[in-house]
Amino acid sequence: MTTPPDIQITTARRSILQRLSIVWLIPVTTLLIALGVAWQSYSDRGPLIEITFESASGIKAGETVLRYRDVNVGIVEAVGFSPFLQEVHVSVRLDKTIAPFVDDDAEFWVVRPVVTAQGVSGLDTVLSGVFIEGLWNKTPSGLVASHVGLADAPLLRVGETGLQVVMRAQGSAVLGEGTPILFKGIKVGQLGKPRLGGNGSEAVADAIIYAPHDKLISSSTRFWDISGFSFKIGSGGAELDFSSLASLISGGITFENILSGGEQVTNGTQFAIYPDEAAARASIFSDSSGPTLELAVVFDENVSGLSAGSNVEYAGVQIGEVTSLRGIYDEVQFGDSRVRLLVAMEIRPERLGLAEGTTPDSALAFITDRVAEGLRARLATASILTGGLKVELVQVVDAPPAMVFVPDEGMPILPSTANNIQDVAATAQGVLQRINDLPIEELLGSAIVFLDDASALVASSDVQSVPGEIAGLIADARGVIGSEDVQKLPANLNALLAELQGTTTDLRRILDQIEQADTVARLLAAIDAASAASKDVGDAFVGVPDLMEQLSALTQTASALPLEKLVTDITTIVNTANDLLASEGAMALPEALSSALAEVDGVLAELRAGGVVENANRTFASTADAADAVAAASEGLPALVARIEALIDQASTTLADFSGSSEINRDVRSALREIEAAASAVASLSRALERRPNSIILGR
Amino acid sequence: MQLVDMEFARSAEHVITARDAGLVACRRCARVWPMGTAICARCGSQLHSRDPKSLQRVWALWVAGLMFYIPANLYPMLQTRTLFDSSESTIIGGAIELAQSGSIGIAIVILVASVLIPVGKFMAIAFLALSVRRRGLLTPRQRHALYEIVEYVGRWSMVDVFVVAILSSLVQLSVVASINPGPASLTFAISVVFTMMSAQSLDSRLIWDEITDLKE
Repeated sequence: MTTPPDIQITTARRSILQRLSIVWLIPVTTLLIALGVAWQSYSDRGPLIEITFESASGIKAGETVLRYRDVNVGIVEAVGFSPFLQEVHVSVRLDKTIAPFVDDDAEFWVVRPVVTAQGVSGLDTVLSGVFIEGLWNKTPSGLVASHVGLADAPLLRVGETGLQVVMRAQGSAVLGEGTPILFKGIKVGQLGKPRLGGNGSEAVADAIIYAPHDKLISSSTRFWDISGFSFKIGSGGAELDFSSLASLISGGITFENILSGGEQVTNGTQFAIYPDEAAARASIFSDSSGPTLELAVVFDENVSGLSAGSNVEYAGVQIGEVTSLRGIYDEVQFGDSRVRLLVAMEIRPERLGLAEGTTPDSALAFITDRVAEGLRARLATASILTGGLKVELVQVVDAPPAMVFVPDEGMPILPSTANNIQDVAATAQGVLQRINDLPIEELLGSAIVFLDDASALVASSDVQSVPGEIAGLIADARGVIGSEDVQKLPANLNALLAELQGTTTDLRRILDQIEQADTVARLLAAIDAASAASKDVGDAFVGVPDLMEQLSALTQTASALPLEKLVTDITTIVNTANDLLASEGAMALPEALSSALAEVDGVLAELRAGGVVENANRTFASTADAADAVAAASEGLPALVARIEALIDQASTTLADFSGSSEINRDVRSALREIEAAASAVASLSRALERRPNSIILGR
Repeated sequence: MQLVDMEFARSAEHVITARDAGLVACRRCARVWPMGTAICARCGSQLHSRDPKSLQRVWALWVAGLMFYIPANLYPMLQTRTLFDSSESTIIGGAIELAQSGSIGIAIVILVASVLIPVGKFMAIAFLALSVRRRGLLTPRQRHALYEIVEYVGRWSMVDVFVVAILSSLVQLSVVASINPGPASLTFAISVVFTMMSAQSLDSRLIWDEITDLKE
């Protein structure tokens, strides 16, 4: 039996590498691959950002993705809460490549399916679930790890540029999210989600005008609502008007540059939305912004027709509108218990022509100044058809002084004046108003001023001294008449007549001679001389009519004075005149005149006195000498007449000064007339003497 | 004498190994060669009385299999996309979902096929590989039976992968619904492959060496 061959036993110890099976490469490789994958995925992993949302509806960790331009750039890793559960924190793992772009201005919002009248958006999210959309610009400026998510998608989507403005709608214009902004039928923008603004009095919505249409918008652009449809029946038939089907359902806004030359606007500019095109166009004349001044006016009458929104006009320009009306009852302030109309108004200072940026306070100061100059508020007819009223600020020329009443609280109160309401009922009142508006007060004022002047004139020392002067004048006349020459005149005449008497006998004796001799011719020559002398006297009287003319002219001047205006107060001046006449000087005047006249009469009586005639008769004989003496005496008459004339001239001069009082004038004139009559008596005496000298002598 | 010994061994439940007999069997064609023959003259494969690197291979493949088994459980096995929803489910997550929705039976099947069996395999292979070197709880016969089971079950470990493969090839209804294999299906398949290779790498003759050693 053969033994099996010895087994070759290798005792040499092999190295560990030799003993290792090649199979170990598999797990080692696997491990390396795993580690490589792990390292790569770790190193490729982007940063984690945290976005805060109000609500995380539909967001699921590990599922909801972050999209940028519809490309997934991240995934939600966790959804949690802020420390006090106010908000939801969504942690999003960003792609590494996109991370640097997610900087401060990045915006995030949750895209959900939205179905509106304008269409359906976010439909893909119906199948895939919501996703977070991110928007950031193209300049990498470092990662910002914490963001606040938007509640709604921003108006300006990725890749869009445009002008962002703010729309304000008051009244009936309706803002809706996504409402299109149309320009000539083309959608050039849309509205964002509306919200309440301005203390709840208006709706405000952001709006976007996409480039390049944003160049259409300027400061003169006006927007108006074209929602719904309008239906009109007129002479041209029925008309149904709506802009587009979308705007019919959801509303729409269009715009137009009403004025040329508007300025380019910037983001955030506010625009109002008007209910219709007409309002938008009208707004160019009425629209303005800036601070308003609130004023109130109290009207005595409660007139229907004024309402909130009525215009407030100044010089025909609308400067504001009525904001509210109410009755006011304040016995303390107004003094009676009537209910008055309190109108609150809103004034736009820049419409008054005040500089831009005028504060309400400075505008109030301006109005206060104007009120001091007569600015008043009144009600006026805005439309005769409707009877609508407006408040008008007018400059009342002769307004009673008033001022702006600034109460401790509440609006300053502007003074009011009579209303200017032209409705049918008030037409008669308007006519009366016109009459009332006639410048009677002005006229009366002028008359009063005139009469005051006249009174002052009459009361002046110059005029007061006139009677004294007249008295002096009369005294002078009396002095003239009573002067020795004149007094001597009768004596002279007596002497003359005595001489005449003496001469008459001579004459009688001479006449016999005359009948024989030519003494008659001598007498005739003497008479001729007397006639010449008398003619001088007559010439001297020629000036008297001129004087009369002057007097009448004076009277005419006086009558040409606006005496009618004096009528009302004439008694006053008459009284003054009466007082004047009752004064001592004036009273003395007639006496002086009458005494003067009496003296003249006396003179004449003496002239006529029979003694003279007898003397004359007696002296007629010496007529020739007497005639010479008469001629000589008659030569003195012109001098007397000249003195009287000078006296009358003086009197007329005095009266010319004294043109105010016709009564005095008249008296003076009558006095002068008597003087004149006396003078003419003297003249006629002389004339009689001239004509028939022997009548004195013969008493016939 | 040797024959007597062999008969004795057979009858007395005593196993005499080829190694004891100075022989070496070809593991591919089962031709027995005298000890020391390097290459099987019939089929050309290498002859080893005992594969010296068997345990190394077992452990290497075991580690690789285990490494692939980890992502197989962490990553989704199946990506289901329907019209409104898209869901990914891992093995255990899917089983739990099924259990919660009432399909406990299916959940158990999945758990057994995808968790219990692979994990059991890992443990069994590790146990067998360890028990070669040191005295274990089980007799070599029991361990051999365990080895047989591991080998037998190994080919069914791909049930999950098959299900995923079939579903994803069948359910491709465009937008409405589609099912795609997740990354876990691949790693799970690789893991299964590695565990099978690991089990096969174990030289089952090593199980019996202990007895020989004890007898000696």
